[in-house]
Amino acid sequence: MLEQLGNGLLLGVIIALGSVALSLLYGVTRIVNFAHGEIIAFGAIMALFFSSSPDSSLLYLDRFSPLGINFLTSVILSILLCGVFGGLLELCLFKPLRKNNFGNIAVLVVTIGLSIFLRHIYLLFASAKPTSYILELQRREDYFGVQLTPRNVQVLIIGFAVMVLVGIFLTYTRTGKAMRAVRDSSDLASISGINSDYIILVTWIFSSMLAGFTGIIQGVINNVRWNMGFLILLLIFAGTVLGGIGTSFGAMFGGFIIGILVQLSVGLEFMDGHTEAKNAIALALMIIILLVRPQGIFGNKDRIS
Amino acid sequence: MNNPLIEVNGLASGYVKGLNILQGVDLVLKENEVVSIIGPNGAGKSTLLKAIMGLIPIFGGKIYFKGNELIEIKSHELVQKGIAYVPQVSNVFQSLTIEENLEMGLWSTKNEHSNLFKEIYSMFPILKEKRKERAGNLSGGQRQLLALGRALISKPNVLLLDEPSAGLSPKAINEVFQYIKSINESGVGILLVEQNAKRALSFCNRGYVLDQGRNAYTGLGKDLLKDKKVIDLYLGKL
Repeated sequence: MLEQLGNGLLLGVIIALGSVALSLLYGVTRIVNFAHGEIIAFGAIMALFFSSSPDSSLLYLDRFSPLGINFLTSVILSILLCGVFGGLLELCLFKPLRKNNFGNIAVLVVTIGLSIFLRHIYLLFASAKPTSYILELQRREDYFGVQLTPRNVQVLIIGFAVMVLVGIFLTYTRTGKAMRAVRDSSDLASISGINSDYIILVTWIFSSMLAGFTGIIQGVINNVRWNMGFLILLLIFAGTVLGGIGTSFGAMFGGFIIGILVQLSVGLEFMDGHTEAKNAIALALMIIILLVRPQGIFGNKDRIS
Repeated sequence: MNNPLIEVNGLASGYVKGLNILQGVDLVLKENEVVSIIGPNGAGKSTLLKAIMGLIPIFGGKIYFKGNELIEIKSHELVQKGIAYVPQVSNVFQSLTIEENLEMGLWSTKNEHSNLFKEIYSMFPILKEKRKERAGNLSGGQRQLLALGRALISKPNVLLLDEPSAGLSPKAINEVFQYIKSINESGVGILLVEQNAKRALSFCNRGYVLDQGRNAYTGLGKDLLKDKKVIDLYLGKL
């Protein structure tokens, strides 16, 4: 079971980052965003598009050959592009829906439609075949009994550093505090002088950049494919709910726990040969914890509804 | 003579189009005045404050602030203009600390912040004492003080108060009303919606009695307190 701990930590970081982004967006906008997985995939696919060799024929329609840019630059460009993508989603789709007083369930259905639409657009432009970034192959090494490649260790460190930075941003910056204020009550924020529309736009941009980053590290650890975000979306929802809806710290923690549990369950004896069922045990545990503590581990009872 | 700060003419408003709660309300709040709005449940008292604050749609009539009509101005812009509002419920950011709550009240101002904090803390020492605590942990009376502090830190000309005594102990009510008095004495015009009609009318300069979304009676607070019709309908035997 312990040999799965390395994979568990890696999946944990992916799910934790995805959960923070989802939880932040939900907290501020009250949107349960089923298209979150597609923003994750967008970041990974764009990084692939920017960084792959121009003569690679694995991806994209013939006329869109990859750009062959250096990987780090590709990552930065992709994350920025995800921010623009999130901003446009808010300005062109979700803000008009909000102004027309669309109910939460109607908006949820819109996000499901958006998810299916975007996923199949990706399938049109990026092949269905899982593809890897142009990065040198590395062997796994032993780090305190945990098997990881040096790049995996870098990813873990960067992932945790990003989570700490998100925490600092939300706790200490003026915009971060305003995001938490709008999360508490957007009407009260407005009458305090905060432009809630501006804060919601910033949250879409910030959450989408974080989602794009999640997709890129998922691509680095595993590979890039058109439905990669959708495949982990359920785990991200589980992480968010487990940690406590509306708390970013809870989402980080819940996501991390879910990711580790999923991978550790692969090592269980009775799972031998049934690894495709690896999500089952983690999700069952989530249900049991929520039965005992409906608000999640760090959640506030007032926010359950 | 005192100039009007807020003037409401024939205001029709409600949450849903076609279902007006306010059906042509008139009201004036002049500089340095405390004006009370009283009336039975469902008269539209809180709705009137929300409409002035731009939180619900306006279907007819006009609202002026310092002589300028407020047309499609958003709530956060009204704060910049000098109108502050303390709602009856959900009037503090529960997950934020007291200091962060006050900071949110400063979002739209570019004034030197540290002096404004000092002013609020010297007015409400309890807030300074508990400034690092989450607002969700405060008692009802302390929350009301924080809500007042959050509204006052933006240095408003007008303060709209929605039932500041709701749910408070008699001692806390006295304290809150003492604060409201001193806020008014510092030159802030106050529009006060209050369920406790006797207290509100004895406290204010002028009062408006609303009934079913319309003006029923208007006059000086002390006169309304003695008005036989107002006593029979809303106040009961004094």
